[in-house]
Amino acid sequence: MSVIAAMPSTEAELIPLTLLRPGQVARVDQVLGGGALVHRLREMGLRRGAEVEMIRPGSPCILRLDGHKLGVRSDELSGVLVRSGVPVA
Amino acid sequence: MAAAPPARPTDRVRLAALLLPIPPPEPTLAMAIAADPQTRTVALIGNPNTGKSTVFGALSGVQQRVGNYPGVTVEKKTGRMTIGDRRWTLIDLPGTYSLAPRSPDEMVAVDVLLGRRADTPGPDAVLCVVDATNLERNLYLVSQVLELGRPAVVALTMTDLAEERGVAIDLDRLRDRLGGVPVVPVQAHRRKGLDALKAALAEAADRPPAVVESPFPEPFREEVAALEAWLAERRPGGPPLPRYLVERLLLDLSGYLEGVVAQVDPAELHDRVVSSRARLAEAGCPVPAVEAMARYGWAAGVLDGVVSRPDQPRMTTGDRVDRVLTHRVWGTVIFVALMAMMFQAVFTWAGPAMDLIDAGVGWLAEAVEGAMAEGALRSLVVDGVIAGVGGVIVFLPQIFILFFFLGILEDCGYLARAAYLMDRLMTRLGLSGKSFIPLLSSFACAIPGVMATRVIEDRRDRMTTILVAPLMSCSARLPVYTLLIAAFIPPAAIGGVLSVQAATMVGLYSVGVVAAAGVAWALKRTVFRGPTPPFVMELPAYKWPSPRVVIFRMLDRGWSFVRRAGTIIVAVSVVMWALLYYPRLPEREADRYEQEVFALEAARERADDPDRVAELQARIAAIEARALGEQQRNSLLGRAGRMIEPAVRPLGWDWRIGAAALASFPAREVVVATLGVVFDIGTDVEGEEGASRLQSALREARWPDGRPLFSVPVALSIMVFFALCAQCVSTLAVIRRETNSWAWPAFSFAYMTALAYLGALLAYQLGSLLAA
Repeated sequence: MSVIAAMPSTEAELIPLTLLRPGQVARVDQVLGGGALVHRLREMGLRRGAEVEMIRPGSPCILRLDGHKLGVRSDELSGVLVRSGVPVA
Repeated sequence: MAAAPPARPTDRVRLAALLLPIPPPEPTLAMAIAADPQTRTVALIGNPNTGKSTVFGALSGVQQRVGNYPGVTVEKKTGRMTIGDRRWTLIDLPGTYSLAPRSPDEMVAVDVLLGRRADTPGPDAVLCVVDATNLERNLYLVSQVLELGRPAVVALTMTDLAEERGVAIDLDRLRDRLGGVPVVPVQAHRRKGLDALKAALAEAADRPPAVVESPFPEPFREEVAALEAWLAERRPGGPPLPRYLVERLLLDLSGYLEGVVAQVDPAELHDRVVSSRARLAEAGCPVPAVEAMARYGWAAGVLDGVVSRPDQPRMTTGDRVDRVLTHRVWGTVIFVALMAMMFQAVFTWAGPAMDLIDAGVGWLAEAVEGAMAEGALRSLVVDGVIAGVGGVIVFLPQIFILFFFLGILEDCGYLARAAYLMDRLMTRLGLSGKSFIPLLSSFACAIPGVMATRVIEDRRDRMTTILVAPLMSCSARLPVYTLLIAAFIPPAAIGGVLSVQAATMVGLYSVGVVAAAGVAWALKRTVFRGPTPPFVMELPAYKWPSPRVVIFRMLDRGWSFVRRAGTIIVAVSVVMWALLYYPRLPEREADRYEQEVFALEAARERADDPDRVAELQARIAAIEARALGEQQRNSLLGRAGRMIEPAVRPLGWDWRIGAAALASFPAREVVVATLGVVFDIGTDVEGEEGASRLQSALREARWPDGRPLFSVPVALSIMVFFALCAQCVSTLAVIRRETNSWAWPAFSFAYMTALAYLGALLAYQLGSLLAA
């Protein structure tokens, strides 16, 4: 956390998807892992380049992906890293 | 899979077929099975929540059949329709995001689409139901379907919602990008676009499938071609494996598909596949990530310039509603209130309806009793068949009302929010939020509860939920609890506030919940252990529920219960009747009762004092009740009760209670009436007067040595037994219907009976210790 916080806040920063704040929009950068779980996430549209909005953080959290809302458990999103255009406070 | 029928042509053959105006019919096994060669088949596939079932329902109307594919838990839903003068069979496949089978259940859809199942004709066309508001993700599945080599048609749903959101779709362009696959907008619940859809299907089925270039990058395609050749070499004479399955062999890391490919040494195949994947990883196509990249890349290419949407995602009404409904506090409060309302409705409306059915069945039984001569046949019809049928339809009010409400909640999109809210709680048991409503429904009745588990996609979660649902104290336990609590639990209050009777009631409900939690926890760690599938739950956009859909679903559930479970329930009811009816009392004894009754009846005719008539009437009733009790104690079931007495003795029961428990196997609420018969009160124990007579008879019941039979620990042991036991043949029949196997109802019965016995033992022994 401290490393990310120390980075210049105007740059798009690489952070775990689960750390997005409500209403924050970001672009998926990496979906790490090779198991069935990650593949299912990719099938659902959580692929590199996709735009996600965090609607309600927590577990399960609510995301908006391709205009649709998804409820996903946070531990299943641990391998998803996003670049947020919005500065992280 | 050894007998897999010849697959559809590979790309090469498909290209050749393009040159011919109409492809020659292929000699597939599936075609030979279709009785009428004029009949066409179409399979429906689509993401969950796309309105696929509504499209299916609108096309097939009432001509639907629900069955099971043998060996799996997948429901086989088929329907019929006519296009022009040709008859069509519709196959509704389970909603899915991807055709990536990792289990026999998931393999069904792929096999049906490829025409590889001997029990289902290969489809002449595939109807992809696509949600217009989420084209990217829906096209992922479409890109898989297009690779199957069947003529396809896209039905575009939710176009009204897309329009509302300002999304514009160029349909002609989309069709061209999809290689000429027809794209038909439909609003099935308003019956719009159905004729155009039918016309498109009829046309598509007569044409060769659209040729769409593989979305995969070159290195992957090369590996697939190489593996295809490798397999053909090792499966000489056998039908070639469809190209799609060869691709999946490379993509399926679970190894499930490797086991499905016959005629090849599994170890050799595995080595081949692993080395292929290694080469792919080096070439920059890591498996399985390459699939999502390729297919979403393809979808982006298809949609480029086809779809335009407003730049700023607008805050919709649905978003504002969600702010409240998914709020941890307010959302939960509203959820609890909604559930309370739903159950209030079930109890207030179902009760009178059930009484009405009971009265109707009683009237019918009386009418038959009057019309038929006394004897075994009349008893069979009245106590076996009519009682059995009554026992089936009496559940319909609860099923209808519960599914009416659940249908509304599901169709408007709320059910997914409820599952979201409850997920945190249910994960502690190893289940997901989707199990909550089925379990909650089971407090009214386990039958609709078990049927409601169909919303749970994950098989392990669904099975666990089905198996623990009957532990929830359903409304049928209430008569048992009320009778025994009123008779044996003192109406005192702890500290002058907490009524002991109410506390006992709460305790009994808690016993069921705690047991269910424990069993679910244990099942998920033993029988249903396995990798938890990712919990990704779609929260569909809110919409007004369609009355057509809600009513149809409600009737469908009720009808499928009557048809599939009803026969089993009636059959068991007849068997139980025979066990209670035979052997008859020795003639001498039966005659003695009859003569006594005759004498009293003659006296009653002569008497003119109304008090005297009433007194004689009461004596007649008492003798008839004693005769019935005698008969039942003498019956096969009564004797069985005596046989099991050593087993129920540690529970504090005598053989009469044991026999009553045995006789209530078809339905636990029957135990009240059975206790009435066994303790010579007769079957009329309904109402205050009957109940108080039964309660006093129970209080007066004695062991042979004169000790009172019932005490607080005995009453507790009986109640705990009935809280946990599986004494409900209707529930077992529904479990059999939903799991498609007799093994699971057998397992349910065994484990619940064992649990009930242990619970009753504990209740009696601990209770006796405390009382001493």
